[in-house]
Amino acid sequence: MDKRMGIEQAVESIPDGATVALGGLSMNSAPMAYVREIVRQEKRDLTVVAIVAGMSVDWLIAGGCVKKVVSGLVSFEGLGLAPSFRMAVQSGAVEIEEYSEDLLICRLRAEAWNLPFVPTKAGLGTDLIPLHEQTGTIRAEVDRSTGEHYVACTRLPVDVALVHAHAADEIGNVRVDPKLIWMDNEIVNASQRTLVSVERFIDHGDVVAEPHRTSYPQFMVSGVSLAKLGAYPSSCFPEYGHHTAFFQEYSTAASDPESFSAFFADRIVKPETWEDFIRSCGGDEMATSIRRSAA
Amino acid sequence: MTLELEEYGCTIDELMVVTFSRAMDNDTKAFNGAVSFIPVCGYLLARRTHAPGLVWAASSIAIDADPPSIPESTLSDALWGGASMLATSAHDFWSYASGARYNTFAFRGAQIDAWGNVNNTVIGPYDAPKVRLPGGGGMADLGSMIPKIYLWNTVHNPRVFVEKLDFRSGIGWGDGGDHRERLGLPGGPQLCITNLCVFDFHPESHRMRVASLHPGVTVEEVQEATGFEVLVPDGEIPTTDRPTEEELRILREEVDPTGARLREF
Repeated sequence: MDKRMGIEQAVESIPDGATVALGGLSMNSAPMAYVREIVRQEKRDLTVVAIVAGMSVDWLIAGGCVKKVVSGLVSFEGLGLAPSFRMAVQSGAVEIEEYSEDLLICRLRAEAWNLPFVPTKAGLGTDLIPLHEQTGTIRAEVDRSTGEHYVACTRLPVDVALVHAHAADEIGNVRVDPKLIWMDNEIVNASQRTLVSVERFIDHGDVVAEPHRTSYPQFMVSGVSLAKLGAYPSSCFPEYGHHTAFFQEYSTAASDPESFSAFFADRIVKPETWEDFIRSCGGDEMATSIRRSAA
Repeated sequence: MTLELEEYGCTIDELMVVTFSRAMDNDTKAFNGAVSFIPVCGYLLARRTHAPGLVWAASSIAIDADPPSIPESTLSDALWGGASMLATSAHDFWSYASGARYNTFAFRGAQIDAWGNVNNTVIGPYDAPKVRLPGGGGMADLGSMIPKIYLWNTVHNPRVFVEKLDFRSGIGWGDGGDHRERLGLPGGPQLCITNLCVFDFHPESHRMRVASLHPGVTVEEVQEATGFEVLVPDGEIPTTDRPTEEELRILREEVDPTGARLREF
């Protein structure tokens, strides 16, 4: 089955109110082409699962798409706090359900492996335990046979995982090249459907010739979309680095909430296609500056 | 303070890095998170001086990396040069961390309390925060898993060093005493290195205690800059050891020639 689809078509399949998990880690490898299209299609009331995120969550919040964020961390690292995330949580417009990285990974594994919970020692003695006491999504427990303390992490169901990768064939075998997959495989394995944006399509024959380079098999993937520089302004190791200037421009614009919505509409939402957006961010010249000059 | 630190022939960032470096040894197996310039410089300096066997995974990914300089982000792939392995999956990382094969980690929280617990989640109530911070990330995980925790902060004041955290994102010595032991957690915080002093932790209560004062700093100044009562050891409090010429040269010329560490100040 040919699973190639446009970014627009892929995003059309995501209903309002869905639980959407975003790949990437901080400034790296976020599925930004899909994220931007979600904003353009004005999806609403999404629950966004993002283990360690930044610009991806900020765009979705600025676009009014988010009801709840389930995350361990959202920031621009040394380039500052994620402005829309910060404002929306402070005002109560968006709910944040905080976990740590490993607690989230364990919840995703419980879902992927069809287990009632996965145990970890992460989070013991922290306020994350009482924070989730009422919902019971994570529970501090003591093992009956050994007396050891652990945290039971219950299933975290996800409707759609969105991840960015280097290449895919037409039937949806995906190559993360090199096989540096951050925590993306954890969300892929836990999700009902996975959509993958890729830098390039390759022939199925290439996949068969080097099957050890495949990261996600076709039966785990629902759709693949071409998006050159699809992680921009985050990085896609080893091909390109994050674009510092964009983060700075965005943060500066966000420092004035009055004019920020105009900036966001004009700069992020308005360009019709992903290629148009990349062109508006400096096109080839910008691409050259971030390729292999990650810093 | 400035005058006397000048007598050391170094600046405060350099003193903090050297102090951190000297706490490391050949058994250190460390990794780093975001905005961790002081520890990253410290690991690299220790490896080039007294601890050549130290293991460091840059960005928690690039094992044995030896970058030519330090980029603007300590999670950037520009930090990974010279690595002998990219630990590619969460499976690798959490196996090394959960089993304490990695034994050393450093935190810097927006708030730190007397037991070395940290907050990077909210200022104010969780449900209606005055400031929503990035979130604890891996703090809650690594605080519980890693036996040797080091804290650092370049802004020693009562808003950072607080009596009570607004949210405990990561555990240090918990409620103090044997709290970690009761939870079955290994080790605990060893030192907290600030721009004013070095704290260690009382062996029983596990409250922060002044271990050394940076040149020109008085214990009264430390107390004034700290929102909880600081313990002081019996007798005279030592001054933080002076960096050697060689340590400063290696830090300035080899480890961090572009001064990335100043991003924390």
